[in-house]
Amino acid sequence: MLGRGLKRKLSDYEENMAGLSSAFDSSRSLPYPLKRQLVLNMCLTKLQTYKMLVEPNLHRSVLIANTVRQIQEEMRQESNQQPVNICPGITPSSHSYPGMESSGISLQLPSGISQQESSCCDLRSVEDPIENSLLIVSDDDMSSAISSILKDLDFVEDISPPTCLVPSGDDQPKFPENTGLKLEDDRQDLKGAECVFGSFEISNSTSYLKDLAIDDIFEDIDTSMYDSDFCCPPLMPPRSPSLATEEPLKTFPSCNSSSASNIQICRTDLSELDHIMEILVGS
Amino acid sequence: MAGVARAGGDGGGSSNELQWCFSQVKGAIDEDVAEADIISTVEFNYSGDLLATGDKGGRVVIFQREQESKTRPLSRGEYNVYSTFQSHEPEFDYLKSLEIEEKINKIRWLPQQNAAHFLLSTNDKTIKLWKISERDKRAEGYNLKDEDGRLRDPVRIKELRVPTLKPMDLMVEASPRRIFANAHTYHINSISVNSDYATYLSADDLRINLWHLEITNRSFNIVDIKPANMEELTEVITAAEFHPQQCNVFVYSSSKGTIRLCDMRSSALCDRHSKFFEEPEDPSSRSFFSEIISSISDVKFSHNGRYMMTRDYLSVKVWDLNMENRPVETYQVHEYLRSKLCSLYENDCIFDKFECCWNGLDSTIMTGSYNNFFRMFDRNTRRDTTLEASRESSKSRAILKPRKVCTGGKRKKDEISVDSLDFNKKILHTAWHPTENFIAVAATNNLYLFQDKIN
Repeated sequence: MLGRGLKRKLSDYEENMAGLSSAFDSSRSLPYPLKRQLVLNMCLTKLQTYKMLVEPNLHRSVLIANTVRQIQEEMRQESNQQPVNICPGITPSSHSYPGMESSGISLQLPSGISQQESSCCDLRSVEDPIENSLLIVSDDDMSSAISSILKDLDFVEDISPPTCLVPSGDDQPKFPENTGLKLEDDRQDLKGAECVFGSFEISNSTSYLKDLAIDDIFEDIDTSMYDSDFCCPPLMPPRSPSLATEEPLKTFPSCNSSSASNIQICRTDLSELDHIMEILVGS
Repeated sequence: MAGVARAGGDGGGSSNELQWCFSQVKGAIDEDVAEADIISTVEFNYSGDLLATGDKGGRVVIFQREQESKTRPLSRGEYNVYSTFQSHEPEFDYLKSLEIEEKINKIRWLPQQNAAHFLLSTNDKTIKLWKISERDKRAEGYNLKDEDGRLRDPVRIKELRVPTLKPMDLMVEASPRRIFANAHTYHINSISVNSDYATYLSADDLRINLWHLEITNRSFNIVDIKPANMEELTEVITAAEFHPQQCNVFVYSSSKGTIRLCDMRSSALCDRHSKFFEEPEDPSSRSFFSEIISSISDVKFSHNGRYMMTRDYLSVKVWDLNMENRPVETYQVHEYLRSKLCSLYENDCIFDKFECCWNGLDSTIMTGSYNNFFRMFDRNTRRDTTLEASRESSKSRAILKPRKVCTGGKRKKDEISVDSLDFNKKILHTAWHPTENFIAVAATNNLYLFQDKIN
């Protein structure tokens, strides 16, 4: 559709995507859920591509993440509302359970339950279980994709310490004198930040890959040197390189504490490591 | 389009419609465009005699207008190369193992205060103040050196002489006078010189810093929208500018289509805005891409300081600074793209950042589009024009023919259909001479200069 001037890309997938997006634009008969799924797939693909980059574009990442969140919210609301359509007897209050809704699980209220029982909140799904599990999986993917890319951007990008300006009401503007000038402090802050993120990055697949890359590169080097630089106590005991390939799950927190440059090097080998990871985890 | 009154003219009996004709084009003609030659910013200085361009290769080229020829008093002078220098080099940040691009994101001139010219140029991380000065004399008759530079033996010097200044061929030198570095974690998207001519701001995705032109080792952070938890980030800063007259006022735009006006007198950290400009969304045009296309790519105050203009993906909006709830004028740049948003998202064109500019009288606004088209909107007559920057229409003084995009149905002769538009030929950067009807349009690696037609 996009005329003579636009270069066609080589990969089949991308050619298919171009075809699909033309279909989206030109076809009026494409059902809305399908259009939405198409956009969602495109968003997730882009976010995945950005994760491979050394320095993803923050502006674009935020816009795409917002689009994904918007679609996610729409899908959640739809799945919440569907039981209302099926059984009008259920009161509106029955489908908001703030304590129970966790990210990644789409609540499905069962149909056919009488009004008295509706408040018991039976979480069985009414939809086709396969479709429902697909919904759940994609919701997880979306949340983790957004979280991981934004978190990555944070500890990769930001080395400047928090500003020391006093908020409003202060007549004298304060000097953030240490802004970016003291690299030593920045390095310590960065490692501190990484320690915090390290313990929470359970779903971030790149952390597995960082672990592996360090093993590959530093196989014959004593890594205790890296462990001792940390400003916070390691969450796991330092491991020897030989165990790493067998126990990737246990070792990634300590791996996260290593220097930022290793993480950057790992990013460039992500596609190969992804493949290795799949083999190891047996998925 | 009412422009500047013609010299000695009475307005003539002809129509007031402005016609544009080709003046010059700069840059290589090859089909094969080197990435480094792609122009990334265009800016006239305060008098309009100098025109600066920055490119992806980190170079700055300054063109100077030739003095008007005496034999043809009404002819405008040509712009010729005045100075070329390498402003920024590619850098490698060893701490983060990241390459820092040398691409010049913005150039802003300082008003001229002496014989030299000063401009600020910035890449993603570092802003530099450049001094461009002329040298047309050199000293001769040194005591300690020969004419060819060899040192003379002091013993042999019998008498002292005063060196004299002799004329030489004009040499234009550019030297970096200040380097403002290490203040931006994220990518700088804007710089803006304050009307006090002593300070300027620089904005990146999440923060805005205030600098003094004389001080390079300190900057004030005046806006910080970074959330404590990056996962909560939903909005970034896309552009910022100081008010042209009020030195305490600046605005910044966001990726959500909002503009915040801040007054630096109210507090040191301007996280709380004084005014908040946002147009309520039209629910009938809502789509998956609504937020992406609402992201503002450029914000510019009018010369008189009463209005500001914002550019989002499909439109240009003029805002009255006294009215926050909606713009006073909205112009559709290429509405025919609204039905192609998915394809444009797929190929990333939807993220293109178009700039916009005012003419000197604030009566006309201009912005770029695809297929090397650029658009002008006359705010008084509400008429708009689409013109094309192309080699084909680049004959001296050739009048530019208005172009039209066919949106559906039968395509008339000379119209171009939406599907035939070349989305690789995008005009992102344009500039309008501060006082005359003279414009500079950057089309990839070429700079087109157009002027209004002289009867």
